[in-house]
Amino acid sequence: MRNSKIFKLLCLLVLSTFLLVACGGGDTTEPTTDDTSTSSDTTTDTSTGDTATDDTAMDDKDSGERVQIRWFVGLGAGSDEPMFAPQEQIVADFNASQDDIELVLEIVDADQAAGTLATQIAGGNAPDIVGPVGIKGRDSFRGAWLDLSELIEKNNVDLSDFDPGMVQFYVDRNDQQLGLPFAIFPSYISYNADLFDEAKLPYPPHEYGQPYIDADGNEHEWNMDTLRDLALQLTVDENGNDATSPDFDPDKIVQFGYSEVWTDFRGHATSFGAGSLVDADGNAVMPDHWREAAKWFYDGMWGENTFTPNAIYGSSEVLANGNPFDSGNLAMGHTHLWYAGCCMGNLKANWNMAAMPSYNGVTTAKMHADTFAIMRGTEHPEEAFEVLMYFIDERAADMTEMYGGMPARLSLQGDYFETFGENTFPDQENLNWDVVTASMAYADNPNHESYLPSVLEATDAYNKFWTLLTNEPGLDVDAEIEKLLVDLQAIYDASNE
Amino acid sequence: MNNQSNTPWHPLSKNSRDWINTLLLTSFMLFVLFLFLLPFSYGIVTSLKTDQQMTTVGAPWWPASAYTYEYEGEEYDVFTVPVDGTEYEWALVERGREESSFIDPNDPERGLIVWEGRWRTLEQAWTLDLHWENYIEGWDAIKFPRLLRNTVMYSVLSTIGAVSSAALVAYGFARYDFPRRDILFGLVLATIILPPMVTMIPMYAFFNRIGWVGTWLPLIVPAFFANGYNVFLLRQFFMGIPRALDEAAMIDGAGHWRIFFSIILPQSIPALVAVTLFHFFFAWNDFLGPLIYLAGKPELHPITVGLTGFNGLYQQQENLIQAVSLISAMIPLVVFFFAQRFFMQGVVMTGVDK
Amino acid sequence: MDSITPTELAEQLTIKPKRQKMSRIKREQLKWGLIFLSPWIIGFILFYVIPFFASFGFSLYDFNLAVPDEAKFVGANNWTRALSNDPQVVGSFKATFIFALISLPMSMGFALFLAVIMNSKYLMGKSLFRTLFYMPTMVPLVAAVIIWAGVLNPQQGWFNLLLENVLGIDAIGSDGILWLADPQLIYFTLSFIGLWGVGNTMLITLAGLQNVPTELYEAAQIDGASWFRQLISITVPMISPVIFYNLVLGAINLMQYFLVPYVLNGGTGFPDGTTNFIGIYFFNQSFSFFNMGYGATLAWLIFGVSLLLTLILFGSSRYWVYYAGE
Repeated sequence: MRNSKIFKLLCLLVLSTFLLVACGGGDTTEPTTDDTSTSSDTTTDTSTGDTATDDTAMDDKDSGERVQIRWFVGLGAGSDEPMFAPQEQIVADFNASQDDIELVLEIVDADQAAGTLATQIAGGNAPDIVGPVGIKGRDSFRGAWLDLSELIEKNNVDLSDFDPGMVQFYVDRNDQQLGLPFAIFPSYISYNADLFDEAKLPYPPHEYGQPYIDADGNEHEWNMDTLRDLALQLTVDENGNDATSPDFDPDKIVQFGYSEVWTDFRGHATSFGAGSLVDADGNAVMPDHWREAAKWFYDGMWGENTFTPNAIYGSSEVLANGNPFDSGNLAMGHTHLWYAGCCMGNLKANWNMAAMPSYNGVTTAKMHADTFAIMRGTEHPEEAFEVLMYFIDERAADMTEMYGGMPARLSLQGDYFETFGENTFPDQENLNWDVVTASMAYADNPNHESYLPSVLEATDAYNKFWTLLTNEPGLDVDAEIEKLLVDLQAIYDASNE
Repeated sequence: MNNQSNTPWHPLSKNSRDWINTLLLTSFMLFVLFLFLLPFSYGIVTSLKTDQQMTTVGAPWWPASAYTYEYEGEEYDVFTVPVDGTEYEWALVERGREESSFIDPNDPERGLIVWEGRWRTLEQAWTLDLHWENYIEGWDAIKFPRLLRNTVMYSVLSTIGAVSSAALVAYGFARYDFPRRDILFGLVLATIILPPMVTMIPMYAFFNRIGWVGTWLPLIVPAFFANGYNVFLLRQFFMGIPRALDEAAMIDGAGHWRIFFSIILPQSIPALVAVTLFHFFFAWNDFLGPLIYLAGKPELHPITVGLTGFNGLYQQQENLIQAVSLISAMIPLVVFFFAQRFFMQGVVMTGVDK
Repeated sequence: MDSITPTELAEQLTIKPKRQKMSRIKREQLKWGLIFLSPWIIGFILFYVIPFFASFGFSLYDFNLAVPDEAKFVGANNWTRALSNDPQVVGSFKATFIFALISLPMSMGFALFLAVIMNSKYLMGKSLFRTLFYMPTMVPLVAAVIIWAGVLNPQQGWFNLLLENVLGIDAIGSDGILWLADPQLIYFTLSFIGLWGVGNTMLITLAGLQNVPTELYEAAQIDGASWFRQLISITVPMISPVIFYNLVLGAINLMQYFLVPYVLNGGTGFPDGTTNFIGIYFFNQSFSFFNMGYGATLAWLIFGVSLLLTLILFGSSRYWVYYAGE
């Protein structure tokens, strides 16, 4: 009895809910939407402004006359536990250095940082200064950053201590200067010297332009083919057969020859040259050399001659559950400078750095560069800029070292690596830091993290493509690329940009 | 047929049959339990391993460390090396593909012994080695006391609010008859199935406006306004209590509150304890709410959010991650051991089990 | 128990001209009913009604969480996209339903199995068993998923180790059983992980079983009914409200299923899109791509489908759910 009554009433409820929405929807929703500061262009400035002013008014009371500036960490380096204390120290130093600004630090775990920041922005509770942040982080919040050009001019900031190319690196598509150079992380080949010794193979070239000289003294151009041949000899199964041996068992590999370390498909493909998945007219494209790259890696994971780990090996104990070069079972890894700073603590072997190989005569060493950016919604751009200059000027030396990056200031680059090398790798001798500086000349342009329409959705699409390739043997790579292009085109078309 | 089974003939006495049934059922359940808790054992065993063992290919499944031998200031792994049918435990000094050099720990004076063969095919010598200090390391690294204090505070406060308010509301629904009551109850059900995602962003904006973001208030205060799940469950139980009991009390002159406190609540202790437990552990495991409202306030984070962050930071140290996961599981386990007594008592007290 | 809401408020809320001639008993009932209901009514308005409609407002906007001040009114655009132009909506609902069809029978069957055995007089150490079967439910879900991901690891995981060394199946290694990477297995794997949350369902079912009057069993035993017959004819009908409750909650929770696949693979839908459940897709659109307007639309769709599901379950309940109180 009672149940059938409830059932009827529930039906009524559903109908009435939808009716209510359909008829009364306009009245009910408009004001609420305005309240949450999400409305159309005319009302926005005032409503977001109100929220922010309310907040700061309250904060001001809490902290005397000081203006509160919130510093958000998590989109790039800095959310690792060992970084907490040094960053807190920076905040304490800054607050002690003057009486006008109270700097407040917020550290969010990297996995949650983007979502947290977005929620804060939507709630009208956005921080003032964000960083360190790379291109990807900035692109994920495109339109949310302040153009620094005016502030740079107004404060007479001297840009001559930066490489002009690096200053240009932070200019977005709309000619807005979203940041100033702070820390740069070139990439290079890290190699495990012990594994080369075990196989009695000579090390890869330490300088750009040098050939690889094999065990018999023959010279080979240092290109992707040579890299592959070398990697095959350094990929070994549990019986000690290398990947060139007919007895090699690709299901029982215990050591790999080559791997891209912690990068996505665009990062992998950029080893074959810079490129983009979108052309000038907004069409989804796959550059030919990227197509080659996809097949090269796919063949290296699943083909008869394995030399690079698929996803299953990548997360296994063979490669330290996902930290391949640190495991000691990877002979050569393509890494950025930040990797040396953060993630090689367990490697017991002797290691060193070598040049990136070329492809079709062109050498590309993809580049990461992090900086601090100011959020457009800030109520206190002047004060935020003061903090920003404190970070990238006054404290640039300690802070770049803290984050493991090479300083972008030319005046600080001099003995940077000496100190960094001694502090981070006291047991290693003759580390070839010169190749890191040399890699800067081969930076990728366009950058492998650069603009795509609806970048997050597009990234999700090509990540799915790459996840499939790294997990499943027997695929037709060309066909998968065509599918990816269709998906990307649909995402680009739906984008309003 | 019926008559026959009433007076069955069996070769064994009833006691023996009971005993065999008990033995069979209990051992079967022990096996099911073994499979069910296998991941747990894996976690314990893994948490006791060294970082090195986690990333050594061919390491045993139990916590162990490789035998090493120090030679000229360096540590070398010890392998079992077969030479002419005899097995020696030698330390591998210089690795090579087809021949390698070893040192005999029993006779280091002999110097390097060159052995022809592939060292990768050799068995490494392992010894049991339990690294309990992983727990201490994990405890400190994740700042466990702080996380625990936050989690307990959140769970206890929100459970008090949730159970007391839900009991009141469920009583109102179960025992009072008034116009549109069933519509309102339909709305209670609707809030259960209303995905929390629907209200997430507007709620955040609202709490932000009243200055509650960055505090526990947005997580605790709503619990005092009767959650649909709890109301639904308690109402189902209250409706199962015969109305004759309250009618009798009413004839004796009991008021509304007295009926609620002295008839309904005592009759429903199993349900109330169950709801308390469920809500307590719901709060204990709550993730998305604390994540959003306490972002950037690590000093307020509960265990779940702290653990997720830890999992991200220490991704390569599965031993530490497992240790910390187990630490965070231990406290609810102990709480449950005690709460379970109350649960059992409640069942006995209300005479449900008569 | 301090929530004494003014009676005036109660009357204001409900007084309609027609109702003025209510009998005194009816008015008493209304007054006290609303007093007891008041915590919920206030919470309902504050935490459900207002945000609910605000969120519908969002669904009419192109509202990017990253740049909220660039939101613009787009009318039904989001709804058109969700209902006709987005294959991922259909795909993710389909994935959710297929998973529900595998996972719900597994979890509810296992819970009933455990509860019946826990209630059996032939089990030694009942309370210990009950504690141990409940124990994993208390492991924070994030931790549980991490532990499971380890034990299901194709190389070092103990499941494959057991399968290979005890049963002789070639399970270990990249060519072995890939519990988390095989699209054919993933729903079963997720269901296994879900079994660790069986404790609550088991306890509710057990509480239900213990409420079944023992006289019924005694009577059945006098009639000579077998154990199985008693289970089907007495136990299941007597605890049908509990089963119904578990079924409704289970189905609704699956519509919001998110945390386990999210912790396992970061919401990528891996392997091959099979774990792109509607909860995950909603989260990705709202919090990964920051399309809050579209996310709100999806949330409303999830709500609609959940409601429909509940209606169907309630509709069916009168044929099989038995209430002792009536």
